[in-house]
Amino acid sequence: MKVLILDSSNTDLSVGVSIDNKIIYKMSYEAWQRQSEFMIPEIEKAVKETGIELKDFDEILCGKGPGSYTGIRIALTIAKTISVMSGAKLKLISSLRMFGNREKKFIALINARSARSYIGVYDHDQIILEDTILSNEEVKKYIFEHPDYEVYGDLNYLNLKGKEPMIIEGMLSFSSLIKEEENPMSSKPVYLKD
Amino acid sequence: MEVRYVSNSLEDTKKLALMIGKNLFRGSVISLNGDLGAGKTTFTQSLALSLGIEDKVSSPTFNILKCYFDGSMPFYHIDAYRLEDGTNANIGLEEVIEGDGVCVIEWGQFIKEMVFEPLDIQIKILDNNSREFVITSNFSKYDVIMEDLKEICR
Ligand SMILES: Nc1ncnc2c1ncn2[C@@H]1O[C@H](COP(=O)(O)OP(=O)(O)OP(=O)(O)O)[C@@H](O)[C@H]1O
Ligand SMILES: [Mg+2]
Repeated sequence: MKVLILDSSNTDLSVGVSIDNKIIYKMSYEAWQRQSEFMIPEIEKAVKETGIELKDFDEILCGKGPGSYTGIRIALTIAKTISVMSGAKLKLISSLRMFGNREKKFIALINARSARSYIGVYDHDQIILEDTILSNEEVKKYIFEHPDYEVYGDLNYLNLKGKEPMIIEGMLSFSSLIKEEENPMSSKPVYLKD
Repeated sequence: MEVRYVSNSLEDTKKLALMIGKNLFRGSVISLNGDLGAGKTTFTQSLALSLGIEDKVSSPTFNILKCYFDGSMPFYHIDAYRLEDGTNANIGLEEVIEGDGVCVIEWGQFIKEMVFEPLDIQIKILDNNSREFVITSNFSKYDVIMEDLKEICR
């Protein structure tokens, strides 16, 4: 099974390709506010380097938020378009959950601004705390009270050090737990602030 | 802390903006308020100049947000006039307000909940060519700016 993996829900841009659960191509870098510029060229590069054409993917795996308002919508719009045009299945994965993988107990964090964070807490296949917004004070308390959890994310805004996520690996890891979108055309991002 | 400055010409306004502009840093937020035609955009243009931005800074009333990346740091110019009733305000503006550059918001009072720790500037029209700027800081990060301003303000 051929999977195209896309994410731009936070400050990074990630494009990956997997065949039968093995990553054969990955590209991931910081592209804050330039994701719309680079996403399509990066997909083109992936297609060229892997020799798999867009119409031949069986599945698109895409980040759905929470995260950057514009960022989430860039990858999702492109993923929806490819899915609708090619008939590939579309699976959406939490932009927090993708920070870890199925082998880990972890807390994933993204700066939501105004002294708040997006937080999701996961233990292997289980969701311990569904993605939500908490005040940074609450987040710090949560981290303190759960020392057995690894903490992922760019945590400079909390004056903490978080582990750097492996986005493409994380997304692929969780993909078998996620249901495909029944109607990709009407798939919506998760913003949590609406 | 609060200082007042009376501008009697475009030159005076520019002088004030340059004085503030040279002390701006990544994460600075300026909330500009004052009647239509008070001089919010005019002031913003000189601020942009102080960051080395050469692109013409125009009013973003119809765009809501304009971004300038050709200066010494990113410069974000928001006009919140059309966001007054709170609808359409939820478009991720907080990411540039509490972001990696300088953010100036005309009519900041209209999106108060989103305007993170701003330096407040209220502009009053005195007459055709005169304006009073009231600059209020509630955050120590703007202390350097406020100290400097004492030189030209009362
Ligand atoms: N001392 C002064 N300082 C600034 N502007 C002045 C001064 N004297 C006259 N003006 C004039 O006032 C006008 C200010 O217009 P500007 O577009 O900057 O206002 P604004 O506050 O941005 O208005 P709006 O609410 O419509 O966005 C300009 O035409 C400018 O030339
Ligand atoms: Mg204006």
